[in-house]
Amino acid sequence: MPAMIEVSDLVKRYPGAPSPAVDGVSFRVEQGEVFSLLGPNGAGKTTTLAVLSCLLAPTTGDARVGGHSVRTDPMGVKRLLGVVPQEVALYLPLTAAENLNFWGKMYGLGGADLKQRVAEALDQVGLRDRAGERVETYSGGMRRRLNIAVGLLHHPSTVFMDEPTVGIDPQSRRSILDTVKTLNQQGMTVLYTTHYMEEAQELSHRIGVIDHGKLIALGTLDELTRLVGQEDVIELKIAGEHVPSELIEALRRLPDVSQASAEDGAVRLLVPDANRALADVVAAAGAHGVRIAGVAVQEPNLEAVFLHLTGRALRD
Amino acid sequence: MRKLWAIGRKDLIVLFRDRAALILMLAAPLALTVGLGLVTGGFSGGQTGLRDIPLVVVNLDQGPLGAGLTDLLQDDDLQSLLEPAFLDDPAEARRQVEEDAAAAAILIPQGFSAGVLPDAGGAVGPPAAIELIQNPGRPTGSAIVASIVSGYVLRLQAGEVGAQVVVSQLVASGRMLRQQIPVEAPAIGRRLAGNASNFSLIQIESDVAAAEAPASFNPLAYIAPAMALLFLMYTVGMGARSLLLEHEQGTLARLRASPTSESQVLGGKLFGTFLTGVAQLAILITATTLFFRLEWGSPLGLAALILAASAGATGWGAVLAAVTRSPSQVGSIGAALMLSFGILGGSFFSVELGPPLLQALARLTPNYWGLQGFTALASGGTLADLAGPIAVLWFMGLALFLAAVLVFRRRGAARG
Amino acid sequence: MKALLAIARKDLLLRFSSRSEWLFFLILPLAFTAILGGGFNFGGDGDPRLPLFVVDEDGSGLSAALLADLGRSSTVQAHERSRAEAEAGVEDDEAAAALIVPAGFGASLAAGEQARIVLISAPGDIDVLAIGQAVRESAARVGVAVAAARVSREEAEARRPFSSPSERQVYFEEGLRLAQETADNTPQRLKVTSATQADRGLADYSQPAQASAGGIVTWVFIPLLGISALFAYERSGGTLRRLVTTPVARSTFLLGTIGGQSLTALAQIALLVVFAAAVFQVPWGRSPVALVVIMVTFVLSSAALGTALGALVRTEAQASGLSIMLGMVLSLLGGCWYPIELFPSAVQAAVHLLPTTWAMQAMTDITMRGQDLAQVLPEAGVLLGFAVAFFVLGVARFRYE
Repeated sequence: MPAMIEVSDLVKRYPGAPSPAVDGVSFRVEQGEVFSLLGPNGAGKTTTLAVLSCLLAPTTGDARVGGHSVRTDPMGVKRLLGVVPQEVALYLPLTAAENLNFWGKMYGLGGADLKQRVAEALDQVGLRDRAGERVETYSGGMRRRLNIAVGLLHHPSTVFMDEPTVGIDPQSRRSILDTVKTLNQQGMTVLYTTHYMEEAQELSHRIGVIDHGKLIALGTLDELTRLVGQEDVIELKIAGEHVPSELIEALRRLPDVSQASAEDGAVRLLVPDANRALADVVAAAGAHGVRIAGVAVQEPNLEAVFLHLTGRALRD
Repeated sequence: MRKLWAIGRKDLIVLFRDRAALILMLAAPLALTVGLGLVTGGFSGGQTGLRDIPLVVVNLDQGPLGAGLTDLLQDDDLQSLLEPAFLDDPAEARRQVEEDAAAAAILIPQGFSAGVLPDAGGAVGPPAAIELIQNPGRPTGSAIVASIVSGYVLRLQAGEVGAQVVVSQLVASGRMLRQQIPVEAPAIGRRLAGNASNFSLIQIESDVAAAEAPASFNPLAYIAPAMALLFLMYTVGMGARSLLLEHEQGTLARLRASPTSESQVLGGKLFGTFLTGVAQLAILITATTLFFRLEWGSPLGLAALILAASAGATGWGAVLAAVTRSPSQVGSIGAALMLSFGILGGSFFSVELGPPLLQALARLTPNYWGLQGFTALASGGTLADLAGPIAVLWFMGLALFLAAVLVFRRRGAARG
Repeated sequence: MKALLAIARKDLLLRFSSRSEWLFFLILPLAFTAILGGGFNFGGDGDPRLPLFVVDEDGSGLSAALLADLGRSSTVQAHERSRAEAEAGVEDDEAAAALIVPAGFGASLAAGEQARIVLISAPGDIDVLAIGQAVRESAARVGVAVAAARVSREEAEARRPFSSPSERQVYFEEGLRLAQETADNTPQRLKVTSATQADRGLADYSQPAQASAGGIVTWVFIPLLGISALFAYERSGGTLRRLVTTPVARSTFLLGTIGGQSLTALAQIALLVVFAAAVFQVPWGRSPVALVVIMVTFVLSSAALGTALGALVRTEAQASGLSIMLGMVLSLLGGCWYPIELFPSAVQAAVHLLPTTWAMQAMTDITMRGQDLAQVLPEAGVLLGFAVAFFVLGVARFRYE
């Protein structure tokens, strides 16, 4: 069966930039799959999505959605796609109903059909009783839900969601994740970008890890964590926010430590055996005058994968 | 007090770093000043820039009177004012006026002279009138041509009437014989027409000073400050907008959470607007004074006026910030206020020329009082002459500021 | 097509979601038309001449002659009053000026000296200029008669002296009478007409028509340039980006915006034109079709320019500021505030690069020269050309962020 989304050697270079934002990325997304692009800020996720939604033209390479090429048939691509952008793209001075009506018409909907879908969408995101109020009066979470509803109004077969849960409260986030799962159960293909490991883990069939414009790993969660081998992750919480860089270097030099990186108030380590390494790690911390506030040992996860592949944390 | 200064200074720097804002605050008034200067002849020493008025003349007359008019039109004195072109076809001349290629057409008909001057036998031909066709789209130019031609015709009439009167009275009283008329009459007529004092026998004394501007008054001395004041209101609107923006973005709350009182914060932000206004006016006035060689009576007075004008305008900015709700609302209301004040306050045309309602409303604007001050300075006034406008401007600024603070307090209290 | 309408509707909703938009759209233009229009005397009591109070403190034949000449003026309407009444009347704005002919006026003239009359006026009233001109003309005419009588007396004296002062006086007065009679019977030597194609119904230079036409161009032009702010707003709000991901062509949403805003502007113009015509009897020419065509092409060219500007500006604040500035400068240079004849000729040629110049040219052709559709088609064509050029520029330079 032909893939829903096919990206082949995609390169996108912005004029005047020293290196390409997307540097030879290839992957496929099958119909009915939830595929996540995971990577830190600036990795190239948004640019990839922008090319796939025909906002930008590829420098070289191609991408196809539902068989239509973004180079030669962008209108065909746009008709199939639902887009949920990272920032809320709604007309704040208009009401939810007016927004939905407008965007529906942009996708060629009209008449009774449009009316019905608008009603459904409002129900789905729980905004039915506030549909006549201006969007500028809504809370952040409500706006995000409406943002998603707009992208789905025309019942697309594929939807792109670009970091939809950044900066919102846990309840709204939970509701969004559930929505994605429901949609996927109904047969929608989802391409989802995020830098939150937990979301990628929870939602996706397959994950592509992207860094500096390159796809550095691709596969199911199991396949990816296997890359890390049997390694454990130790997370050290430090008293005070600043982690001295000498400590990180010292930790890296330890024989029992594969990788070490610093975050705000924490140190993350990849070690073959947590029990063996722990003593030396704590000693090193003490030697550098760093007070430990907490220690956690974790099963390998995507953070570990990323750390292993790049030597840096996902959340830089 | 130091906090006020710190807040104000910060805002000034922020605004001057915004290149787009600079263009509007400085480039726009300069561009308009130049444009209006061109129109009102500020660059040519105070006469309106009207010169080389294009006109077409068709002289079908074969006598001396038609030639007299055409000679007059080509006279040295009128050389820079008029640009006459001579044609043979009246229809063509009319066409040129209709197509806006000329300000007016003068058609001197055949037999014009014959209709005025008696021939050898003493008879005068049928009267023929000069036709002057005016271009409605060039009112000033065509009015100038009309006054020149009607002046000529009046002189002709003077000669004509005068000659007739003299001659008929002489004959009636036996001092001249009828046969002498054809010889004597033209000479008498010419003498009458040529004596210019005949036309200024009645002097009109007028107590109107405003109608004619004093010859030494440079229109740019009005225009440059007028445009500067117009865009001062723009700056003040921007200040109000930034106040609301900070409020929206929460930095204002942060400021208020710091040990700074509410009126200190408000005062500081408005002080920034005040400083910006002063800087803007100072830059514009300095630039136009240098470029256009303007002269102001008293540098001290100039400085005081600039401070006062900015104060008055800032007061309005405070009110603007107090009564609007969002930055974009401030944007559009601020723009409307700027244009309204400009029109009402005399930035586009002298308030004295407008109806009484306009003159009353004008006094609410900083533009009006600022211009009063600037025109006084341009006529060589001193600081003392500016006392009135400066006092009003400061009063305006302070009173409006207080009103704005009250509104802010009430709004803040309501929000709790 | 549906998308076009939806976009136009969306723009309208966005624009008028802020109530302050009504300020620019209707309230300010109407208010200023009313205020400025109210300064011009139209219709009124049926006599369009400017009232002038005249005070004759001399009572001589010559002062009577002067007042009689003024009575025949087509510019002023002379009313005789006492001095106190006249001065009070000027102060109360019943007339813009009062003319005082002081005692001794006639005697001075008869004796061969200059005489003086006094014009009192309300400060800064624009009507004073016209009244002053009329008074000057009457004074010149009477002066001519006096000069003729005087010269006649001198010529007579030179040929054969008078036997007594009273004979002299009689001769002078007879000469004066003769002069006035002759002047009255002199055929008109100058005929002034206006190059307008309609026979009647149009003022020669109609200052209110110029002011209204110029005002319309300015008040409509600025918000149309403000379309750039609409784009800046959508750009910063992310909705422009989202629009680009929908299966709607770029040119479609540009056209939708231009079309919608153009229709709004035309509605605005219609309101202003009707208002000015109804309340101030501004003469709008004899060809409504021509007027409509010019308005439509002007609006299209301005909307297209606003759209092209939308590609250049980054923020909404920039856009609105730029549209005000550019709007004002282009209006001024195009002759909307003062006729362009006042510019130096090099500038007059240069400003034909601007759409506002062509629009004003066409408007004056229609309102003052009484031209019809066929004659303003060239201007309409140029404006349409501007519209196309700006539209192409806007599409080419379009960025969604």
